[in-house]
Amino acid sequence: MHLEIKNLYKSFGDTQVLHGISFEVESGKALGFLGRNGAGKTTTLRILMNLFKQNQGEILLDGKPFKVQEHQIGYLPEERGLYPKKKVIEQLVYFGELRGLGRKKAKENADIWLERLGVTQYRNKKLESLSKGNQQKVQLAETFICDPEIVVLDEPFSGLDPVNAQILKDIIREQIEKKKLVIFSSHQMGYIEEFCKDIALIHHGKVVLQGNLKDIKGNYGMNRLTLKDGKRSMEELKQLLQGEMSSMLQSVETAKEQLIIELQPGRDKREFLQRALDLDLDIEGFGLYEPTLEDIFVEKAGDIA
Amino acid sequence: MKNLWIVLKFEIMNFYKNKSFIIATAIICGLLIIGMSIPTIRDTFFSSDEESAGGEDGYVSDQAFGFINNAGETFDSETLQEIFQGGELSEFDSRDTLEEAVADGELEAGFLITSPVEYQHIIRNNEMTDSSHFAFEQAFQETYRRSGFESLGIEYEAVESLIHAPIQRQTVVLGTDSAANYLYTYILVFGLYFVIIVYGQLVATSVASEKSNRAMEVLVTSTKTENLIFGKVFGGAIAGASQLALIIATAMLAYQANRSAWDGGLDFIFDIPLSILGSFAAFGLLGYLFFLFLFGALGALVSRTEDVSTSVTPITIIFVAVFAISVMGMQNTEGMLLKVASFVPFSSFMAMFVRVSMGSVTNWEVGLSLGILLATTLFTGWLASKIYRMGTLMYGNPVKLTEVFKMLFSSGQ
Repeated sequence: MHLEIKNLYKSFGDTQVLHGISFEVESGKALGFLGRNGAGKTTTLRILMNLFKQNQGEILLDGKPFKVQEHQIGYLPEERGLYPKKKVIEQLVYFGELRGLGRKKAKENADIWLERLGVTQYRNKKLESLSKGNQQKVQLAETFICDPEIVVLDEPFSGLDPVNAQILKDIIREQIEKKKLVIFSSHQMGYIEEFCKDIALIHHGKVVLQGNLKDIKGNYGMNRLTLKDGKRSMEELKQLLQGEMSSMLQSVETAKEQLIIELQPGRDKREFLQRALDLDLDIEGFGLYEPTLEDIFVEKAGDIA
Repeated sequence: MKNLWIVLKFEIMNFYKNKSFIIATAIICGLLIIGMSIPTIRDTFFSSDEESAGGEDGYVSDQAFGFINNAGETFDSETLQEIFQGGELSEFDSRDTLEEAVADGELEAGFLITSPVEYQHIIRNNEMTDSSHFAFEQAFQETYRRSGFESLGIEYEAVESLIHAPIQRQTVVLGTDSAANYLYTYILVFGLYFVIIVYGQLVATSVASEKSNRAMEVLVTSTKTENLIFGKVFGGAIAGASQLALIIATAMLAYQANRSAWDGGLDFIFDIPLSILGSFAAFGLLGYLFFLFLFGALGALVSRTEDVSTSVTPITIIFVAVFAISVMGMQNTEGMLLKVASFVPFSSFMAMFVRVSMGSVTNWEVGLSLGILLATTLFTGWLASKIYRMGTLMYGNPVKLTEVFKMLFSSGQ
């Protein structure tokens, strides 16, 4: 399956929230949907789930208009929502049935997922008596109960401790392996880097960056090098380079333990290394700079707004 | 359709598994059984006392009265004592002893007869509701009449039988017998009022709580909103109707079991003609659904259950007014207000039922009213599902109805 989100616009009253959001996802791949708080992630996902109507734009699945009701979708909303006063199993079966499972099958699947998520012992407890993390797991069981073909997770990791986060990571990986179409939003870059081949980064309601994560990182690293000197401090090294090699360098930045050097267009790393050796630097480390997703995120969406 | 059934089942079970629902129903049924059994209990435990106190005439007073005849020969004290029915009436000689007896409380009251048409009423304290002189005055007047007729040579019994001729009346009712129908109509109307107000609130709260606990977002993405609101309203309707039916059935069974002790005294309440029950079912059910849709839609306009009561206030006021008009209309089924109300969808379900049950109304009027109500209820259901769909994802401050209509009829929705 191939899901295309094309040019979505949405405003609430006078506030324009989305300014033409477009991205694509395919089955068997996970799309990481990134953005700061208030960037428009949840609004986009809610439009995708037909909870809101867009003012403009369309959503296509394999080229045809996407109708939520016609597909099995596992949707984990940002604000978790279940019945606090109902027993866990009762509501799981209810939601399973609503999404087309028979009563027996819904019960079976509910038990499988409760087991998988390690909350079987709360099966007959009222939801409100569970801890927040366990309620989150029940919500996840509800999301996967109907074995969805499309999985939409809005901030799935919030509220989970590292052990539970690992369980969820395994589940998401398994969904990807099963060729499900997975979209999940997060502002926690680490999770997205772990299993998303593609990302879409939105900022102020616009997609500012999207595509294959490797390519994006490559592009960001292009013409950037890292350098570390054994004798000099970062500051001394920076000044030395700026003094002696200014014609070659676009910019020099200090990162944690190394300098990040961007070369002028047309210059290459061999030329740079040659000059560095001529300057008799005590090179301890030299390499291509590979940015973390966090670096990219901060650069693209880091303005204070 | 399958999902509607799933939602319906879930909502009904919410009621049936709810402890307060079960307890309330059990208490009401228990009270009815006890109430219906009171005559049996009384007959079993207190029968002997009751009968001895009953007497033959049914009216016996053990109160004592005294009088003094100062009118002399012109007034017949014996006749007076004979026909006095207020209790024991004894003659006194002096005013002092009479007043003393009254002051001591031995006598309820004393009467000082000064002439055949004049007397003094002697009592200890003048109370608002002193009625001790009524029986005396009746006997006093009759004594005067008797002696009057006697002096004219006319036999008093003959006059008496002429004046109080035993006239017998049989009423042949061609229309509806309002008097006999009053009680069961009132009970049915009140039951309907009670069920709608209680279940209306419950449905509105249930919708609002799904918003406040955010189950709504998952629900709306799992099935159509029509299924959700219709399932909820039908679920509430069935729960309420079954509760009412259970209560009525309990009352009927408890009455049947105790019928001999009641001496058939409540037969008229339970002897409701089928046609009346039929019209109650049709109008009651449609009105019930009509209001539940409104309550459900209003519940969707708020985000917190605390705001529900404010949101439903306007419709509650209308509803209470409808109830008041209908109950007042029971006194006068030909009144203009009731006639108009019996066609307005907000009130027709109750007002028209009152007219059918207690007044005279033509079939076409009933049909027209039912048709209007059916059409409006369907429209309200449709409108409620639209408002519900729109309200479900609006969080924050309660939405005003005027804004809702603006949004509903603006483009895009």
